[in-house]
Amino acid sequence: MDKKIVISVGVAVIVVIAAIAAALILGEQDDKVDKTGTVYYITVPPKDMRASLSTGDIDGYISWEPYVSDSIVGGVGVILEWSDEIMPNHPCCVVAVSNSFSGGPNGPDLTSRFIRAHMDATVWMNNALSHTSSADYDLLVSMAMDFTQRNETVVKAAFDHIEYGYEMNTGFRSALEDFTDMYIETNMTTNESLASRGYSSASDFVTKYVNGTYLSTAGSVSPSDTILNPSNPIRLGYLLGDLHQMAQVVAQNTSVLGTGKSMFQKYGLNIADATGAPFANGGAEMNGFAAGAVDIGYLGAPPAILNHLNAGVGTTIVAQANSEGSGIVVAAGSGIVNLDGLVNKTIATPGPSSIQFLLLKIALQREGYDLKIKT
Amino acid sequence: MSNWIRSLNNSVVKAVRQNGLYLILSVASFVVFITVWWLASAWLHGDWPFEGRSPVITAEYLPYPWVVVHAFFDSFTHPDPFSDLYMGDHVYSSMKRIASGFALAFVTAVPLGLLMGRSRKAEAVLNPEAELFRPIPPLAWVPIFTIAIGFVWGPIVIVFMGIFFPVLLSVRLGAKSVDPLLIDAARTLGANRLQIFTKVVLPYTTPYLMTGVKVGIGIGWMCIVAAEMLGAVGGGVGWYIWGTAQVARYDLMYAGMVTIGLLSILTTGVAGFLEQRLYKWMGTK
Repeated sequence: MDKKIVISVGVAVIVVIAAIAAALILGEQDDKVDKTGTVYYITVPPKDMRASLSTGDIDGYISWEPYVSDSIVGGVGVILEWSDEIMPNHPCCVVAVSNSFSGGPNGPDLTSRFIRAHMDATVWMNNALSHTSSADYDLLVSMAMDFTQRNETVVKAAFDHIEYGYEMNTGFRSALEDFTDMYIETNMTTNESLASRGYSSASDFVTKYVNGTYLSTAGSVSPSDTILNPSNPIRLGYLLGDLHQMAQVVAQNTSVLGTGKSMFQKYGLNIADATGAPFANGGAEMNGFAAGAVDIGYLGAPPAILNHLNAGVGTTIVAQANSEGSGIVVAAGSGIVNLDGLVNKTIATPGPSSIQFLLLKIALQREGYDLKIKT
Repeated sequence: MSNWIRSLNNSVVKAVRQNGLYLILSVASFVVFITVWWLASAWLHGDWPFEGRSPVITAEYLPYPWVVVHAFFDSFTHPDPFSDLYMGDHVYSSMKRIASGFALAFVTAVPLGLLMGRSRKAEAVLNPEAELFRPIPPLAWVPIFTIAIGFVWGPIVIVFMGIFFPVLLSVRLGAKSVDPLLIDAARTLGANRLQIFTKVVLPYTTPYLMTGVKVGIGIGWMCIVAAEMLGAVGGGVGWYIWGTAQVARYDLMYAGMVTIGLLSILTTGVAGFLEQRLYKWMGTK
């Protein structure tokens, strides 16, 4: 019995050591270099990308602002390509509305008023950004610092690469159509899903899913002396610290107009954060829409498209929030100066359903490279 | 190995003969579960037998059982939408993490548990930390471990955290529960401290250890989504579940969940089988 126990303990220890050794060996084998023109990706939340770059766990990343400028200003990374170099004027964040909200009592009027405030906020931001010595610019920077928890230098650098706008022109619609085609091609959604939602093609889908009516009617919305929805606030969804979604921060701020009222209040709207807001990502926000917890939200176009097509989440895109504002960053001193230098390197992305993932894929495909998960 | 397979086969046949009623109850329970799932899904979709009902949006979040079964088999023959990896690749990646996390937990929790169970001083030193860290969900460690330890070892350590405490606490309980009369008897018969440990404490603790191992493996699988949610190199079933949920491919997401359930049953079953073999070999059963 005594020997048996000693042997059993010995065998257990050997098995455990062998398991660790096997894991280490397999890990080393996984790191073998591939010379076939492949770039490897892993998923990392944007807020952690700078830290991962500085520790050497990744060779670069693609993200949205301010997480691009965060590394550049901090000296950790250098820009390899801005997203406008990959796809000029590419859509990024949008304003989506729940169909049950916009179709409900006062829904069309409240949605138009919301979009009017969004338009005013966007115009105000663009004006402030074009006058960097103005008080409005200082106020905008201050709001952005609070919202993103990044310092002044980072925020100011980040603003240089974001185009704020609300219009949904032909280019915007065409880009969404291209994204949808790419998602079908990669099986992230399917033609069956498209058909089951009543769309005959990607073009038909974008035509119906992007609704410009509210942008048209918002221009004629007048300010209101009273709050029209005092007991039923519009439940607003937005993403954590996403500088692309500054319009909702500006529209909620009571210092911007100098009247003691926010832009939303000016148009008679009572706004409240939706349960769960700020959301960690667009997928989570779309779950909020599906659960009936979000009435209007700012999020990336891809999660809105995918969740609508795959899960039937009843939303419609009613305005653009921004275009561009993303970039590929590589480690400072890495010697990588173009996309060729990314071959066999590990690049972090916010996730396969993000627009940044798509942009990276488009950029690499153009150069003839594959994008595969790091193994 | 063939003897083991023959033995396993005999054990299964014997179990079926001896536990026919219980087997029928288990199968019936599973059939009821699938039926309830189907009815719930039909109710949400407004399909037969609830045709008059309007489908609700959340119906998409609960696909029919056969849709999930189809997605499950499909995931082994078609690559996932993001990475060109098949479910088999994801299973392999997750198994590596579970095996490594388990190995780390085993080599650390067993000696520490024995020490805490047999030494009051050691328990006084280690217990505060054990009680402090035990209730912290592995999800809370994700940002720390994935960034500080890296994308290879970070997920493994998250799994380790899940397995470590059940094994530690079970072994501690086992070592503490040894009947003092047995130790006195061994001492009276002239056994030294090593012999008391190997002949009394260790055999007495083994059933507790195995319970901890089985519970720990289950919790390890529960941690796999958190462990693989971010930066998981080579994917993994947890990564697959998280990714498919992000793009609302809920059929695939459920297929991943079924895979984790089956892997947990498989690994816990292997641990249970080894437990029985161990008892038989030790002569305690």
